[in-house]
Amino acid sequence: MRPLDWVVLAVSLVGIVAYGLYKGRGSNTVNRYLLAGKTMPWYAMGLSIMATQASAITFISTTGQAYVDGMRFVQFYFGLPVAMVILSATAVPIFHRANVYTAYEYLEQRFDAKTRALASVIFLVQRGLGVGLVLYAPAIVLAVIFGWPDRVTTLLMGGLVILYTVLGGIQAVTWTDVQQMLIIFLGLFVAVIMVVVLLPSNVSLGDAMYVAGQAGRLNAVDLTFDLKNRYNVWSGLIGALFLFLSYFGCDQSQVQRYLTGRSIAQSKLSLLFNAMAKIPMQFFILFVGAMVFVFFTFERPPLLFKPDAIEQARRGPGLAAIERHYDDAFARRRQAALDLIAARREERPAPVESYRAAQRDFDAARREAGALVEKGFNDTNYIFLEFVTHYLPTGVVGLIIAAIFAAAMSTISAEINSLATVSVIDIYRRHVRRQATDAHYLKASRLATAFWGAYAVLFAEYGRNLGSLIEAVNVVGSLFYGSLVGVFALAFFFPRVTGTGAFLGMLAGEAAIFAAWQFTDISYLWYNLIGCLVVIGVGFVFQRPAATT
Amino acid sequence: MTPREQMPDDPPPFLGAWRRVYLVVLFYLGALIVLFYIFMRLFS
Repeated sequence: MRPLDWVVLAVSLVGIVAYGLYKGRGSNTVNRYLLAGKTMPWYAMGLSIMATQASAITFISTTGQAYVDGMRFVQFYFGLPVAMVILSATAVPIFHRANVYTAYEYLEQRFDAKTRALASVIFLVQRGLGVGLVLYAPAIVLAVIFGWPDRVTTLLMGGLVILYTVLGGIQAVTWTDVQQMLIIFLGLFVAVIMVVVLLPSNVSLGDAMYVAGQAGRLNAVDLTFDLKNRYNVWSGLIGALFLFLSYFGCDQSQVQRYLTGRSIAQSKLSLLFNAMAKIPMQFFILFVGAMVFVFFTFERPPLLFKPDAIEQARRGPGLAAIERHYDDAFARRRQAALDLIAARREERPAPVESYRAAQRDFDAARREAGALVEKGFNDTNYIFLEFVTHYLPTGVVGLIIAAIFAAAMSTISAEINSLATVSVIDIYRRHVRRQATDAHYLKASRLATAFWGAYAVLFAEYGRNLGSLIEAVNVVGSLFYGSLVGVFALAFFFPRVTGTGAFLGMLAGEAAIFAAWQFTDISYLWYNLIGCLVVIGVGFVFQRPAATT
Repeated sequence: MTPREQMPDDPPPFLGAWRRVYLVVLFYLGALIVLFYIFMRLFS
């Protein structure tokens, strides 16, 4: 980071906070603080929804994922437009007409207090575990890349987010999300331009795409049906559909965005905007990663991208031999790529197999070095930042780092805002203090926001000592959505199902998901479908007789 | 708490009915998948 980069980063962060505080002024009632007085236009909600979903680690690791595994991850998002259509037609009008602050408040209107309480607790546990991770994960990556203490990064990001979220409520969150999303778009646009510009002068964009394609890095669509294959068209269209239904329809961090709409139509448009924009955006991010792969085909990348890993590898035996193997493999792969390009231009059969063999040999050298560091070593999250910090011009580095900060802050602010809302509306106001003034609940909302913000910082602060636990938290976080989407499906589509049926259905759904997780090899994207079907099945058993409806 | 008002479900600002908007979104998804498939085949 050079002075101009620091200036760009500082201006971006100060701009975000100042804008958030400016837009959040006047949040002096609970309705304004938690729902923006229902005044938000569709584009603000739409960008806020997008920003909330795009965390920093998604931004960093998605590019790295395309580098090592190609673009097949884009299929994960194929279920999103379908989910948005379903939610626009069902959840949005239902939630708006129910006049609720939270999705779980609606469950009490439809079923009973215990179903609402169970769903609220599931949300608080799941999001509470995840919010620290959202802060910790980018902090640790930035700390390793720049040599900053991770404490500084977590405190900086966390402190700024707490400031504008506590003071400005959801208006500050939404409008800063808009600003953050624009910074992210700008950062991505500049990144893709730069990676193409930095390719060798004798390699055109068409050549680069051809090389990426031969290396399997443009594998955006896989039509084979395989329950154990995490990313194919079917896991995206069916499995991920239920994940997105859960996330956008049952997770308060998203539901609260579109509950702020000035009309049902505006809220629907915000979701449909995401339905149209999200897949191209993810495609674009993955494409950046694929082009970084081509860039490092011609420019020698480090043996291991994680900066301190090579020192760790040096402690083991045989690194010198691996480095010689790596240099040789890189040179052969580079030449093989040039041969591919020449064959393409001359319209003769391309030596694809020799290129792929060189790629496999190159990957093998990296794996050998990684094995010296630790079993299952993975440096995917460091690939994009290696490219950014070592090859991009001054100023652009600051912009990309600002985009990563923005992605982290937008997710954290939405999460602490929604955790505070559920804590106050579904727990405090419902079970602790049922009759109090608006000013009292406003104060409670601000305090709850500050509490969850401080919790996120503390969790991130101590996260470094919880390595394997954090991984477990990430897995556990994906285990709850199926039962949530199931109970909302019961609420929307099965009018005779009782509160007891919904409650028992959620418990049974959770049991089924945990069984699938523990005892089968089924990919996690299918857990949502399994959980949902079990909840509906059990709920269906506990229906009122048709005559009494 | 501040009382809130019921909201009307207005028609979309284009295409006249939400059902048509939803269909456009789903066709758009299908077109994207086809485009991605062609893109992949073109370079592999």
